Amino acid sequence: MKIVLDHIMPVPLASIKHSSNSIWGNYIELNHGEKILLNASSGKGKSTFTLTTIGLRSDYAGTVTYNNVDVQTFKPTDWALIRQEKISVVFQDLQLFPNLTVGENLLLKNSLNPVYSVQEIRKMLERLEIEDKWEQQCSLLSMGQQQRVAIIRAMCQPFELLILDEPFSHLDEENTQRCFTMINERCTEQGAGFVLTTLGDDHKFKYDKELKL
Amino acid sequence: MLNKLLYKNQDKKQLVIAIIGAFMGITFLITSIHYLIKVNDFGKGSDILGPNTIIVQKKVTNSSSLNMTKTDFSENEIKKIKAEPFIQDVQPVISNNFDVSFETADPMVPRFRSDVFIQTVDQKFLDVKSTKWHWKEGDKFVPIIMPRDFLVMLNTFMSSSGIPQISDDLAMDIKFKFTLKGETDKEWVDARIIGFTNEVSSILVPESFMEYGNAKYTSGKEKKITQIMISGKESEFGLVEDLLKKRGLESKNAQMVVGRLKSVVGTLFLVVLGISIIAVFVSGLVLIQYMQLLMSRNAYEVRTLLRIGFFPQVVIKSFFLYFVKIFGIVSSLGLLVFFVFKYFLDTMFESGGLYIDTQISMIALISLAGTYLLFVLASYRTAKNGIFKQY
Repeated sequence: MKIVLDHIMPVPLASIKHSSNSIWGNYIELNHGEKILLNASSGKGKSTFTLTTIGLRSDYAGTVTYNNVDVQTFKPTDWALIRQEKISVVFQDLQLFPNLTVGENLLLKNSLNPVYSVQEIRKMLERLEIEDKWEQQCSLLSMGQQQRVAIIRAMCQPFELLILDEPFSHLDEENTQRCFTMINERCTEQGAGFVLTTLGDDHKFKYDKELKL
Repeated sequence: MLNKLLYKNQDKKQLVIAIIGAFMGITFLITSIHYLIKVNDFGKGSDILGPNTIIVQKKVTNSSSLNMTKTDFSENEIKKIKAEPFIQDVQPVISNNFDVSFETADPMVPRFRSDVFIQTVDQKFLDVKSTKWHWKEGDKFVPIIMPRDFLVMLNTFMSSSGIPQISDDLAMDIKFKFTLKGETDKEWVDARIIGFTNEVSSILVPESFMEYGNAKYTSGKEKKITQIMISGKESEFGLVEDLLKKRGLESKNAQMVVGRLKSVVGTLFLVVLGISIIAVFVSGLVLIQYMQLLMSRNAYEVRTLLRIGFFPQVVIKSFFLYFVKIFGIVSSLGLLVFFVFKYFLDTMFESGGLYIDTQISMIALISLAGTYLLFVLASYRTAKNGIFKQY
């Protein structure tokens, strides 16, 4: 899937002066399988980029297209299908269900388009060292633990692009490496790409492209 | 899991109140509609006269016996009665203006002959098929509706003559004939009974037969209208009764008692029906409002479900089915309690001598289905609007 941000300028960011290589106001292509780092300081619109790209915000000038189709023409059912099969997201505010357990959060997402068995999901938790949290309510987890649950949830679907909005902000280096390795493996396995937004840290990963805000 | 996510942490107090209200409303709604229909149908078909119909005449007093007051109805009086809002129709009862006698004309039955009084009323007051109730010159026989008292009299005569008595059905097979007499002419016309009435004391004949007799064998005297038929509106019989009192009119007591009873019971059920409609409407609104509240309390959950890829229709369906199931259970319970009520009320009516039809009224069931359908539609619209608001 090819995503194009054609001279996008979000309304809340229109009054700010952006650099000449910023994605805002320029022509940007996110090509199939590309691993992209989006590096920017606070308030430059990293989350706005995430929400605009996946159709959760429409307050912008310019055009966002998926395979040459303007996303503004998509209907709610089209978006549901895209979010089930094409694009997966780790939101900055994680968007977990606090009243459900870790297991329920993951199984609910997995039920939409089952890609893993319960055992496989539990194994992923084990890999990120939170296997004992399966029965625990999400609201009782630390932010770092919640981030790892959100990352695993994003894996529980087929996708062509994974958007990660500051997914390691509450993780130590060791856990960040574990999470990234898992993400990278999953993307390679599917031939998918990702966009990772960070606050200046490249986490010593290798990327195909780096975008600026 | 979706159910746990959306409905587990809700304050159910408001829901319980709405459910109780809806249950009571539904129960009384179906009960009142059922009995309103059954009470209005009471007496239908038992007589050839239509429901809520009475024959009235002016009260005979000493002054009218002395010809000081009139006992006939003027056109103006009929018009005034007809203009009352609770009156459906008023028509004069036309009597014969010629001599007529009635006799058996069947070899199986002993001869019985009597001078009689015949009358005709507008067909719309009669509960009889129009194909049976017509006559024209040259027809084989004239259809007649007989006062039941006449059959009793005939049976008394048969019994005293040592002949077996006859039933209603058998009486309808017996051949009779009228003898119409004028100043110089005489004519015989065969007659057949097609029904009986308790409400009229004379033999009823089709209008065309009366016109024929009155035109051909008239005695020449002007015929006065001394009886009229009044058809009152459902549940407003009390007003008809007041009118009769005010105008010094009278009717057969049995007709009045049934009319009064139907009117009182009908009004009672109408009041219950009104209250039930309000109760169902209000509780339905509370349920719908509760659905909106639940959706707004779950705004984050709904939004997140849509963000992670749930189809809006799946979330709409979840809310919609949750409330439709609740209302379905409430309606079923209401229907069940209605059957219990019905058992006790039918027994109560029967022990009081009111033999109303005990079959379930289809209209009551259709009303319940209609109420349910309305709620289903309202739930769907509310769920759809609520979910798309979070989109």
